[in-house]
Amino acid sequence: MLNYRSEKPPVDWAAYAFVAVFTAPFLIFNIAPILFAAYLSFMKWGIFGPPKYVGFDNYRKALENDQILISFQNILLYGLTIVPGVLVLGLMAALYVNNRWPLSSVARVCFFSPYVVSATVIGLVWVWILDTQFGIANHYLGYLGIDNIPWLTSTSWSLYGVGITSIWWDMGLAFVLILAGLQDIPGDMYDAAEIDGATRWQRFRYVTLPMLRPVLSMVITLQLIATLRIFSQVYVMTSGGPASSSTSVLYEIYTVAIRNQKFGLGAAVSMMLFVVILLVTFLSRRLIREQSP
Amino acid sequence: MNPLAYLKREYGMAAGDIPVWIVGLAIAALWIMPFVWMVSTSLKYPGDVMTVDIEWLPSRVTFQNYVDIFTKYPVWRWTLNSIIVSVSATFLCVMSGALAGYALARMNFPGRHLLFFLYVASLMVPIEVYAVPMLLGIIKVGWANTYQALILPSVGNVFSVLIFRQFFLTFPRDLEDAARIDGAGHGLIFWKIALPLARAPLIAATIIIFVLNWNNFLWPLLAVFKEEMKTLPVGIAAFTPISGTATQLEGFALSMAGVTVLCVPSVLVFLILQRYFIQGISSGALRG
Repeated sequence: MLNYRSEKPPVDWAAYAFVAVFTAPFLIFNIAPILFAAYLSFMKWGIFGPPKYVGFDNYRKALENDQILISFQNILLYGLTIVPGVLVLGLMAALYVNNRWPLSSVARVCFFSPYVVSATVIGLVWVWILDTQFGIANHYLGYLGIDNIPWLTSTSWSLYGVGITSIWWDMGLAFVLILAGLQDIPGDMYDAAEIDGATRWQRFRYVTLPMLRPVLSMVITLQLIATLRIFSQVYVMTSGGPASSSTSVLYEIYTVAIRNQKFGLGAAVSMMLFVVILLVTFLSRRLIREQSP
Repeated sequence: MNPLAYLKREYGMAAGDIPVWIVGLAIAALWIMPFVWMVSTSLKYPGDVMTVDIEWLPSRVTFQNYVDIFTKYPVWRWTLNSIIVSVSATFLCVMSGALAGYALARMNFPGRHLLFFLYVASLMVPIEVYAVPMLLGIIKVGWANTYQALILPSVGNVFSVLIFRQFFLTFPRDLEDAARIDGAGHGLIFWKIALPLARAPLIAATIIIFVLNWNNFLWPLLAVFKEEMKTLPVGIAAFTPISGTATQLEGFALSMAGVTVLCVPSVLVFLILQRYFIQGISSGALRG
């Protein structure tokens, strides 16, 4: 037998047939539309007539549009509300379930379950829970002496009403990712810490947290991206209102492109959102890396 | 036997852990209360929904809301559409993803690294960024309000490729070599050896992608404007009671029945196959 392994392996031409089945729809429906979006963002195009090249006009219009500027401000606010909420609750739930105390597998199912249902379910259920007059949230807060909060119907609360709902929906993913990260930490690290007389808090601070750093940074990045593209909850719960107080960039794109049929402007805002997502992802990774010892 | 001693022996719990354990379980129970409230409301008479006292267990139970959503709205049709779309998109995505994942992990061909890079890089561009341009294309080719418009854009889900690639990278080469010596080509090896052994990623990818497709919202909202071509999540979303009107509160009984129906498939799939589901989600494929 020849030692064929040490030679350059022959090309498997059949591989192209293997990848073609996936790559064809991928190129047509995932890659081509991205290029088309970039092209469209430099065009003026309504429902009638051919597209016309207008340079950076759409971008200029987007930056002069108050609605669109508010929506960018809102997604940053959403990020500041939802990401820490998801991270802290997900970490706490994962630490709890990781103890493997009795019924912890039931708790695991509970914490993860909201993640598997659709935005429609989440949205409608929470519109009902957060109803100002008859919702159970305000009912129980009433026992604490808190007056009815207009969760979804006032400009100062609506973003947080949608934000709380999103935390409940998204926490499941962060939870299972962190749980998997906890289970990857070798048990003898804890044994060693215990022998050295470390308290429970010290074990968490000096073993768990540093070991979890890669997982936590991934969770933050994933959740940040998910939050910047927030749409369905907003659509179902508030339609961006009242008075744009809970609107998001995607909701504005939807309004501009679908309702007002300004496709070029919509595409320009999409490209801006894409740049913001790239920037924020890059910065968050950078920031987390710099802080690590 | 002393329960405390039992907990200590079996679970290594100290006495101080017990309150934490109980509070944790209470929070877990609280966490799914919205679902309980949803089902409870869906079983109430519309007039009983707006009570001052909170009734977790309805004093009078009715299934009329469920009858109403299926008879007064095209919920059957929406369900059928959702099943057709999710099942075919999931099948196509998982099968093509298995083939591509296998090729990327086990076969040698020029452009392999470039292709993998393209797949991973595309994860940075969410579908929302190009949904509207894609819609214009779909309308241009006359596919608005069609099943293919709902199905095909969901086939290129990179997650499916990544999960299979990850699995086949760790697949024992000996099996493949033995088959190769017997003269089997890659096609035969894939069908007869690799795929049957890839049970775990197959199940994980299928259920995760099925749930994603079942819950898909933005694209079906855009691609379809005919009532009878809507999918279930988009159709049911219209049940949001308009606030400030007389129908608002009565509407909640109906809309909770709608969302309960909408939950059932994804929650069932999750509960039955939760081990695969959670493993798949937290596997290396997503962590990469």
